[in-house]
Amino acid sequence: MSAYILPLLFIGLFCYAKIKKVGCYDSFVKGAKKSIPLVVDIFPYIASIMIAVALLRASGITALLADSFSPIFLALGIPSELIELVLLRPFTGSGSFALLNDIYLQYGADSYISRCASVILGCSETIFYVTTVYISQTKVKKLLYAVPVALICSLIGAIIACLLCRII
Amino acid sequence: MIVASLSLLVWTSPSNILNTMVGAASDAFALSLELCAVYAVWLGILEIVEVSGLSDKLAKLLKPVIKKLFKIDDVETEKFIALNMSANILGLGNAATPMGINAMKRLDDGSGEATPAIIMLIVLNATSLQLLPTTVIGLRAAAGSQSPADIILPTLLATICTCSLGIILVKFCQRWFKRRGK
Repeated sequence: MSAYILPLLFIGLFCYAKIKKVGCYDSFVKGAKKSIPLVVDIFPYIASIMIAVALLRASGITALLADSFSPIFLALGIPSELIELVLLRPFTGSGSFALLNDIYLQYGADSYISRCASVILGCSETIFYVTTVYISQTKVKKLLYAVPVALICSLIGAIIACLLCRII
Repeated sequence: MIVASLSLLVWTSPSNILNTMVGAASDAFALSLELCAVYAVWLGILEIVEVSGLSDKLAKLLKPVIKKLFKIDDVETEKFIALNMSANILGLGNAATPMGINAMKRLDDGSGEATPAIIMLIVLNATSLQLLPTTVIGLRAAAGSQSPADIILPTLLATICTCSLGIILVKFCQRWFKRRGK
């Protein structure tokens, strides 16, 4: 089903553009040209955040944090198998998807743990990455409450995910 | 945090520090190359959407929501936010990014402090309101799940919860900060 949504949207868009007498090719080229300067502008920010995350993981600090936080997570109803996933998720997208795959392989894709992990990943984002990239082209230095609010939401999302998977 | 992890690494495995950093940087480079390709497609599509006037229509459709959430009155910015939100809802995080960056540039007032609208946009993107978690479903199918799509409903419910909670919290913090400012 979902495989058809995008192609249909594209066809619709091109037809609409034809009716409006817009040059599809010229517009597309004009837009696509903007991608290289955009990526050049955000590359240093992506590189810095990824280096920082790699250092945190390599040093074992994240594992230490996972250990010290585990009683809290258990009290909140998040199984201990998923703690690393919840902690890693705000930092790295590819890393957390790799972890999700490990969980599938270890517990089976249809187990409770795997279903929880799927929902947790589906309702959250790589908060630090998104924030870094989004403000990279502005002068904003002080984010005030943006990141804490996002982190709280994603923690509560994880709790809700584990609850929902028990019911549905 | 970085200093702490660096000092810990010096203690445990000093030879790995540079490897880790360069490795991460080359991952970042590979990701950027991939993003460059993805953005080329989406910015191309976006241009057609914009030139054909479809983005104005979308912005008009979402205007009441955007006005309530962001308290802004600028047609261009509203357009970018409308596109960013629609891409997110369709599960196209990578397509949402360039539009989000454009919206951010226009929301920035140059004071160095995040405005309430910027914070709202960050939180909305960070809580990722999306209808179809396509990547997760794909991974589950690949791992041999019997019904890979049965996580759609719980994911949808959870994402609606986190998103509305995010909006409420941002509004609450806004008020709190304003009162403290006075």
